[in-house]
Amino acid sequence: HGGNNRRRHHRGGGKHTNTQATVDESNPILFAFHGFAKELDDKHDRYERIVKCGRDITIESKRIIFLLHTIDQKKDNAGKVLEEAQLRLDKVCSTNFAEIAKELSGRDQYQYAKAFSPGLQEFVEALTFFEYISGKEVSDWTTLQEKLKYKGEEESPPTECLVQPIEFMLGLADTTGEVMRRCINSLGSGDVDTCFASCRFLQGLHAGYLGLGPTHNREMSRKLFTLRQSVMKSEAVCYNLRVRGKEAAKWGAEENLLEKGVDPANADIDEGFF
Amino acid sequence: MQNPGIKNIFTKFQENLNTEQELREEIRLTVREIDQSAKEAAIALQIIHTSISEVSQGCLKARERFQECQKGYRKLAEIVPAGQYFRYSDHWHFLTQKLVSLVALTIYLEAGFLVSRETVGEVLGLEVTQKNGFHLELEDYLIGVLQMVTELARFAVNSVTLGDYQRPLMISRFVADLNAGYRMLNLKNDGLRKRFDALKYDVKKIEEIVYDVSIRGLARSAPLAEIPSGDKEEKAE
Repeated sequence: HGGNNRRRHHRGGGKHTNTQATVDESNPILFAFHGFAKELDDKHDRYERIVKCGRDITIESKRIIFLLHTIDQKKDNAGKVLEEAQLRLDKVCSTNFAEIAKELSGRDQYQYAKAFSPGLQEFVEALTFFEYISGKEVSDWTTLQEKLKYKGEEESPPTECLVQPIEFMLGLADTTGEVMRRCINSLGSGDVDTCFASCRFLQGLHAGYLGLGPTHNREMSRKLFTLRQSVMKSEAVCYNLRVRGKEAAKWGAEENLLEKGVDPANADIDEGFF
Repeated sequence: MQNPGIKNIFTKFQENLNTEQELREEIRLTVREIDQSAKEAAIALQIIHTSISEVSQGCLKARERFQECQKGYRKLAEIVPAGQYFRYSDHWHFLTQKLVSLVALTIYLEAGFLVSRETVGEVLGLEVTQKNGFHLELEDYLIGVLQMVTELARFAVNSVTLGDYQRPLMISRFVADLNAGYRMLNLKNDGLRKRFDALKYDVKKIEEIVYDVSIRGLARSAPLAEIPSGDKEEKAE
């Protein structure tokens, strides 16, 4: 982002002039603007700090998702992996989100919501994916909201990180991509039941999103498009399993995706960050 | 096909969307009412470009409209739930900026100084700080003041046309102060910055007018520095 560089540059310059030129108090305009400058700086700095926390959350969430993908029926490691994932998810709540909550304390929750929205969505993705894999009921935003409430220490009021329903739904839409990957992976390891279960889960989610009224959110329509592709991919996998038996499907899956018009470049998106 | 948990989430979310939609509709209506009054205030103030002698009347008329706006904002403050100002603030950002510029212009025409944030808040019925509730955002105030400068540049042109040669000199000094003020801010690459970048064109325009007037000796006065701002202005009106 060019804007960030520019800003850093300006801040450096600004600090310099602030110390150098003492404000002429006889000029009311300059005096007032001195106060405004401080207020704006505080706002911008707080925003940047929250963005930074948000980025840490994004990275850790992606790692947790990666960890969850290592679950393999043959290795029989599910219990251990899930346990570790649970620990790491809790840790993100108790450290990174707590930091954001501290910055937000006493302020309008919606003012800085954009600053950590990518992190929050990624975290929702990791959390729901975790819940799905461990066979629990997928919770909604109120449960997560409860998790992100923090009791203040003495005298300081309790703080929280706002979870907007729309953010949660966007994160949940991302989860479908992970479930699709799990579906394909299970095909590779010959875990047929997981393939069918994932597909059914995706179809259910897809139907749910179809039923929503207009959300007035640009991101949502883009995510729904990807969601549809994920559903079709997992359906193709199930189709193959049924028609050719599980050995053939393993080899045929890729070609079949191409026939069905799925963009080969999109067929295996690696989200990076690992 | 859908498991009940998932279904539950979607139903809940849909309900959530619906209530938000209703509230937004209500906000939109109130904002439209205020916007109408703001437009009428803007029209009342247009008189300054055609008749210097009617400036104070124009200001009075505008102030009446501001009272209506104040009522509108009070209503808005009741509709918007506490702590959710920024959730819905997109609906009134532009409107508030416009109103700030009108209030600032009115007060400049009446008294010759920059309206403080507190005064704008008083006129429009808004709090100054977030903590106190429905408030006037600093950015909106700053952008509004910049919009006023554009109007002043136009006013400088027209006041010369109408034979008031002192006016541009006063405006020029006022805008120079503002320019210095805005330069003290560390701006991020956002709407405020974009609006600030346009300030230099207004400054330039006003300086050219001052130049034109001075070089022809149309400003009868002594050098700039000796004009006391207050009483000169009264003579001009």
